[in-house]
Amino acid sequence: MIFLSAAAGPRFVLLAAALFVAAAFVPAPAVAHGVVGQRFFPATIATDDPFAADEMALPTITSFNHETDFDFDYSKSIFPGFAIGIGIGHVDAKPPGESRTRGFSNLHISPAEELYRDSSHEFIFTTGLDWEIGGTGSNAVAERSSTFTPAIKFGKGFGDLPDSLKYLKPLAVTGTVGYAIPTAHDASKSIEWGGAIEYSLLYLQNNVRDEGLSNFVAHLTPVVEFSFSSPTRAGDGGTTGTINPGLIWSGQYVQLAAEAVLPVNKASGDGVGFIAQLHFYIDDIFPHSLGRPIFGGKK
Amino acid sequence: MTTRFILTSIAITCCATPAFAHAFLRHAEPGAGAVLKAPPSRVALTFSEKLEPVFSGVVVTDSAGRNVEGGTVAVRGNSIAAPLRSLPPGSYRVVWHAVSVDTHRTEGAYSFTVKP
Repeated sequence: MIFLSAAAGPRFVLLAAALFVAAAFVPAPAVAHGVVGQRFFPATIATDDPFAADEMALPTITSFNHETDFDFDYSKSIFPGFAIGIGIGHVDAKPPGESRTRGFSNLHISPAEELYRDSSHEFIFTTGLDWEIGGTGSNAVAERSSTFTPAIKFGKGFGDLPDSLKYLKPLAVTGTVGYAIPTAHDASKSIEWGGAIEYSLLYLQNNVRDEGLSNFVAHLTPVVEFSFSSPTRAGDGGTTGTINPGLIWSGQYVQLAAEAVLPVNKASGDGVGFIAQLHFYIDDIFPHSLGRPIFGGKK
Repeated sequence: MTTRFILTSIAITCCATPAFAHAFLRHAEPGAGAVLKAPPSRVALTFSEKLEPVFSGVVVTDSAGRNVEGGTVAVRGNSIAAPLRSLPPGSYRVVWHAVSVDTHRTEGAYSFTVKP
């Protein structure tokens, strides 16, 4: 997100307005979600990936630590490289010794702006904001106060490694670091951080060595995601989080993913869980309508 | 209820037409990393989607960076083909770019070797 400061002066506002208008009316080729140079990045499911794209995750099912969540997320590109996401979920929790609680979680609004792409180095850098709107979910499971989490995100493929390391070229990483700021005075702020390490069999097959993989297998990406939360106030506990090894299958229009959820310590949860997701590439399914940016993406 | 909703979503997605997508490389001849006893007469690439001929193509170069195509590169349907000159033993680089008919762009590169 680009934040406009009132102190920036009218000249800056005029410049921003001019850029806005230019972006809206200059035709541009479709910006491919998840593609930077020769690299296709599948959408990660436990952490935010660095793409502002037209896509929908329905559902994301998480079962972990005596709780089962069904989540829905939809992201719509407004300009090429700028998208706004919305998300909501249903929580069903039954902690040991406590009564069962069910209900909808708070609505999330999450704009994201791709700030920098380097195709030759398969690198992308994005900023974003997640706004959990307090009070929009059920009293039983959702906070009454809002939380704002500005974040930076990046993705990097290793296709630029020397040929002597050719079998490492299919590797890629994504990462995100955010600062969660609750509006409730007594709530703790925290650093939300995580990422993914992925090995693209498609990249191996097409760019490094044709191993004769079937079309199905070639579209698999083994992945390990990690997601952590570190409170910044002393006395609010240590870092909690999970490590999620799994597999992503990326088709032409949809993606399927499944991961185990492993807590990193006792405070992070109890036992091994799982997360699974069906993900739709809206820009590929509806390339001439719903899947294009509203402004600046017309043919 | 949830299951029915998911199945309906999948059905809508699968039936949605017209639908195009990124043109991903499905097959390459010679393939990435291939070591050939005899020089190939052409490079042939097959993609998952139909291509825009004007915006799609391939360049084949030797280890010195010189083009080794022996004629016009042809883009038809979902394939790109480039005839090659008679290649001496050595390492060659194939660099392609493809724009599917819905303007999604993809690109890739790989090497193959012709043995002495």
